Amino acid sequence: MLEHGHALSVSGLLALTLAAAAAWAIALSAPLMSISLRGGNEAATLPDAIVAAWQGGEIIVAVVAAVTALLAPSLFIALRLYLLVPLALGGRPLGLAWCSRALYQARRWNMIEVFTVGVLLSLARLSALADTSPGPGLFALGAVTLLFAAIESAGLKQLWRRAA
Amino acid sequence: MSTSGVVESECRSPGHGGPGSTAALLGCENCGLVSLEATGADRAGIVQKCGRCGHRLYGEKPFAVQRTWACIAAAAVLYVPANALPIMVTTDALDRNEHTLLGGIHELWVSGSWGLSIIVFIASIAVPVLKFGVLALLAWSVRRRPQWRRLERARLYRLIDVAGHWSMLDVYVVALLGATVRFGPLASVEAGPGLLAFASVVVLTLLATWSFDPRLIWRDGEHRTVVYAP
Repeated sequence: MLEHGHALSVSGLLALTLAAAAAWAIALSAPLMSISLRGGNEAATLPDAIVAAWQGGEIIVAVVAAVTALLAPSLFIALRLYLLVPLALGGRPLGLAWCSRALYQARRWNMIEVFTVGVLLSLARLSALADTSPGPGLFALGAVTLLFAAIESAGLKQLWRRAA
Repeated sequence: MSTSGVVESECRSPGHGGPGSTAALLGCENCGLVSLEATGADRAGIVQKCGRCGHRLYGEKPFAVQRTWACIAAAAVLYVPANALPIMVTTDALDRNEHTLLGGIHELWVSGSWGLSIIVFIASIAVPVLKFGVLALLAWSVRRRPQWRRLERARLYRLIDVAGHWSMLDVYVVALLGATVRFGPLASVEAGPGLLAFASVVVLTLLATWSFDPRLIWRDGEHRTVVYAP
């Protein structure tokens, strides 16, 4: 496959990326799910899951999860905004080449769609044991996943043609 | 040029070299720009980079087959503890249970969640095993059977490239359960030693997929462009 996807204007891409950034902020700060058991109540956000793995002594697992579910999606949004805002204003972003290569790695390591299914699966497994409910973070995460798919399907190579 | 060790490629239109010299063109994996390969005396010991985005250009990824074999071998070794050791330890008021990868799938199946159990089976067992098989087949066949079913092998590579991420599913589930179920002696979930091995298997199979060069499949072959009418 050489190229795929539909053509989106720079402002269209920027709109999708801004929406993804807003949803991503909610997904990071709001609880993904909460569980209550005999009066006790626990809610977990995305950073909580990584911290819990780290504190449990699973340092490599925590690092892998942090890179694939936290760092890569954050870079994906931040670098795209950095490239798109000057382009939409008619300028040319500085460090275009470096950004594009960093974005290439961010795309490779981004596994946010797998993480979203992981949250759903955890909810399903917990519902057999205790009272569980999905949190606002999960809905935001679903929105991020869909927006990422929409942004990705527009392809990056078209952006290159406009920028260079 | 060769003193600095880096060649900034010029942008030339494809087809510059005419028929029979397709090897002299290099496509950039990152931005898609096609550059002319450095030739002759310039070629030895230099790193060629894309003139537009600076991504490294390869006629062939260096040591692609060796790196692929190394990563698969390491992943296959770690796959044993990943399956044998518990990936998750649950504690409740009555007792302490250890769950292995296959054990967890079995529990889901027995409890009636067939759909979930199939999803976890595909992500945790089928995808890694498929990746071992496909990458071993590809790495073996580019050397021994270069002519054999090229298009099918290229499709297999694309399949594992797309499906590769999904084996991470169980790693996330255990991390999330560990973060949520924290009721001390009443109920708690912790990651087991198998999870470390399993996460390493997933990362190693990803690295194996990325170090393999799918262009090797097409080496020395006749080329034809497949055009799909809309």
